[in-house]
Amino acid sequence: MRKLWIIGWKDLRLAFRDRSALIFMLLAPFLLTLGLGLISGRFSGSSSGFNSIPVVIVNQDEGQIGKELVKLFQSDNLADLLYVVVIDKAATAQAHVDNDKVAAAVVIPAGFTESIIPDANAMLTGQASGKIEQILVYSNPNRPTSAGVIQSIVKSFTQEVEKMRIAEQVAFSQMFVNGILTQNDMALIQQLVAKTQSENQKTKNLIVLNNQTTTAEAKDFDVLAYMAPGMALMFLMFTTSNGGRALLSEKNQGTLPRLLVSPTRSYQVLGGKVFGTFLTGTAQMLILIVSSGFLFNLRWGNPLAVLLLVIVAVFAAVGWGLLITAFAKTPGQVGTAGSALMLLFGILGGSFFSLSNFPTWFQMVSKITPNAWGLDGFTRLASGGTLADIVTPLCALLIMGVVLFAISIVVFNRRNVMRV
Amino acid sequence: MKKILTIVLKDTIIRFSSLSEWLFFLILPIIFTIVLAGGTGAPKDTRIILAVTDLAESPLSAQLINELENSDVVRPDVKELEKAEDDLKSRKVSTMLVIPEDFSLENLSSRELRIDFYQLPNSLDAIASEQAVQEVISKISSSVEIAQNSVALAEQVHPFSSERDRQAYFNTAMKQAQEEIKNAPQRMKVQLAATKAEIDYDPQANSSAGQLITWVFIPLIGISGMFAFERQKGTLRRVLVTPTVKSTYLIGTILGQVFWALVQMALLISFGILVMKLHWGQNIPALIVIMISSALSAAALGVMLGAFVKTEGQATGLSIMIGMVMALLGGCWYPIELFPKIVGTITKILPTRWAMQGLLDLVLRGQGMAAVLPEAGVLLAFAAVFLIIGIWRFKYE
Repeated sequence: MRKLWIIGWKDLRLAFRDRSALIFMLLAPFLLTLGLGLISGRFSGSSSGFNSIPVVIVNQDEGQIGKELVKLFQSDNLADLLYVVVIDKAATAQAHVDNDKVAAAVVIPAGFTESIIPDANAMLTGQASGKIEQILVYSNPNRPTSAGVIQSIVKSFTQEVEKMRIAEQVAFSQMFVNGILTQNDMALIQQLVAKTQSENQKTKNLIVLNNQTTTAEAKDFDVLAYMAPGMALMFLMFTTSNGGRALLSEKNQGTLPRLLVSPTRSYQVLGGKVFGTFLTGTAQMLILIVSSGFLFNLRWGNPLAVLLLVIVAVFAAVGWGLLITAFAKTPGQVGTAGSALMLLFGILGGSFFSLSNFPTWFQMVSKITPNAWGLDGFTRLASGGTLADIVTPLCALLIMGVVLFAISIVVFNRRNVMRV
Repeated sequence: MKKILTIVLKDTIIRFSSLSEWLFFLILPIIFTIVLAGGTGAPKDTRIILAVTDLAESPLSAQLINELENSDVVRPDVKELEKAEDDLKSRKVSTMLVIPEDFSLENLSSRELRIDFYQLPNSLDAIASEQAVQEVISKISSSVEIAQNSVALAEQVHPFSSERDRQAYFNTAMKQAQEEIKNAPQRMKVQLAATKAEIDYDPQANSSAGQLITWVFIPLIGISGMFAFERQKGTLRRVLVTPTVKSTYLIGTILGQVFWALVQMALLISFGILVMKLHWGQNIPALIVIMISSALSAAALGVMLGAFVKTEGQATGLSIMIGMVMALLGGCWYPIELFPKIVGTITKILPTRWAMQGLLDLVLRGQGMAAVLPEAGVLLAFAAVFLIIGIWRFKYE
């Protein structure tokens, strides 16, 4: 165990003395994280949360329903969500949308109320009261989500209004059909219609949406909490393959045979080298985590869980580095394959882009990378998750590491890599 | 001229002596181009994903899910409760709807039902989903609500003689309500404005141009590694004791790498034309101008870097790092229009920004020589400045 530690510690010190390696291990992920933070607006504060949705309303309706819709848009319930401006001219409102100033313009046409509220005669005949007027939602295609919110609000409102109309229609026509009311009860009908309409009677909502905001994440998600681990994990692959390259370099340069003629067994040497790579990778990740925490005020989450995730992520990444080394013949081959794998895993594992827009098969393939599992875990922790929330990524990384180590050791033995 | 060609040939042999060079020269750039073209564009279905867990599995819950499927705002993704919770926790979705076991038409007729709706805080998508779900539940409960209202109004005028009569009245009222709802007129119309797109963006074109610049700039900046290698090994001194002047060596080295960069660009552009069906070939002379000026600026940057680095390892690490950072900030990975304004302005100091702009002028905006000349001019100016500094500070030993 002592020999293992000595070899590992020596390799750790060598790695951190190598200025070229430091560029990849620390400087590159740090600068790329900084760059991603800059372009995403993280440092200018333009990426957090959301701004109120700007919307203009034109109410040409002189009736009650038009006024109710304007009131709804200006209600306290929607005050945080919407920034509402009421203007007179539909053309001006539409121009605001055309010029990308607002998410949508809502135009309530003249006669909208009249076209909905049935009179007593309509109750009797079951006929609609006349021309159908429609509210226009003039949507900005550049802001589909915001415009979608406006459309949903207007649609819910019109549905509610329509429900009230149908409710009156059905109530009276059923009373006529069942003989509860007759043509002779016109006075009573008018009284009932006036009563229901003056009370602005609303049917009771039978399905209630029990709205809950997730408590564990009652804060803005920091985009850098996705980008920083993405870059750190990508360049971790460089460190692990660099460890393998160092192992083969020792063999080529003759320092490995020297070690093996000392009273040190080959498995101790291999174990020490692997342990050194593991220590280097862990130190690299921790330096990046601590420095980004201090410099970018980035909250990585529960420290114990972060540490555990770092350890298993490095373990899995070392497994990949070892596998490359087991199959390679020269240090150059390890370097080339390691760089290629670093970039491939970077793009497959979501280090550059969130994988949510990618097809399901792509997301499945990404699971072979430590980047995808590691990112999954780090994102959960940054969102307020605990150790219990990252059990799946922890287990996946652990299994990945064990399998890769097992395959690598078999190949090492077959190829006699650790023989003088 | 013969010496220059000999140096070019020598560098070519060294560079392509290993098959692995093709990995970085062509294979990885193509993989990156394809993946980014597919993953960074707007998905075909732009609706917000709503995780739905159906614990009831009743006709009413099926109706609810069906109505959500028809929504313009949300796309229901029905899954197990555990998976839905996991997706919400890991932010794969912004909202989750849990339909309870008692969610049936029978229960709806007799009492109020509650559906649990979970959402992430400060998420516009979550708010949009909530509005869409409200709209749908209001719709599916309408007929029952109307029938109940109808029964209540009738009772005010004439009480029912029995519960059976009351139920029969409720049933016919609900049937009529369903029919009326089905035939109800649309009270809202949506018209899409002709708002000009915020950004010129096409995932295929942006990916093709962006990856071309990324993968061509990195090896060109890597010229610095060649100088460092030759200095370290002492072969540069050997060359210079032959009747070869320094400028011949420098020109030969730069031209060789620029030549292969142009070949690489041509191959990637051919891939873009043949496989991705991009309109790269609309103005060939303009394309050649921007390709050459981009390659020269990157090669000159490599020469400048070569004057400062000490070892080949340093040069390799720095060229990859600088190449990636410049590609990122130059808009090769994400559209520059999405950057904060101040950052967008600052990126003008990077040649990648101008190269990207020039290539997009051609492949995305369909412009011609007049449009790319300013970009080409800036790139050549970069090349001149880098080259002057590089030659001025260049160490041959």
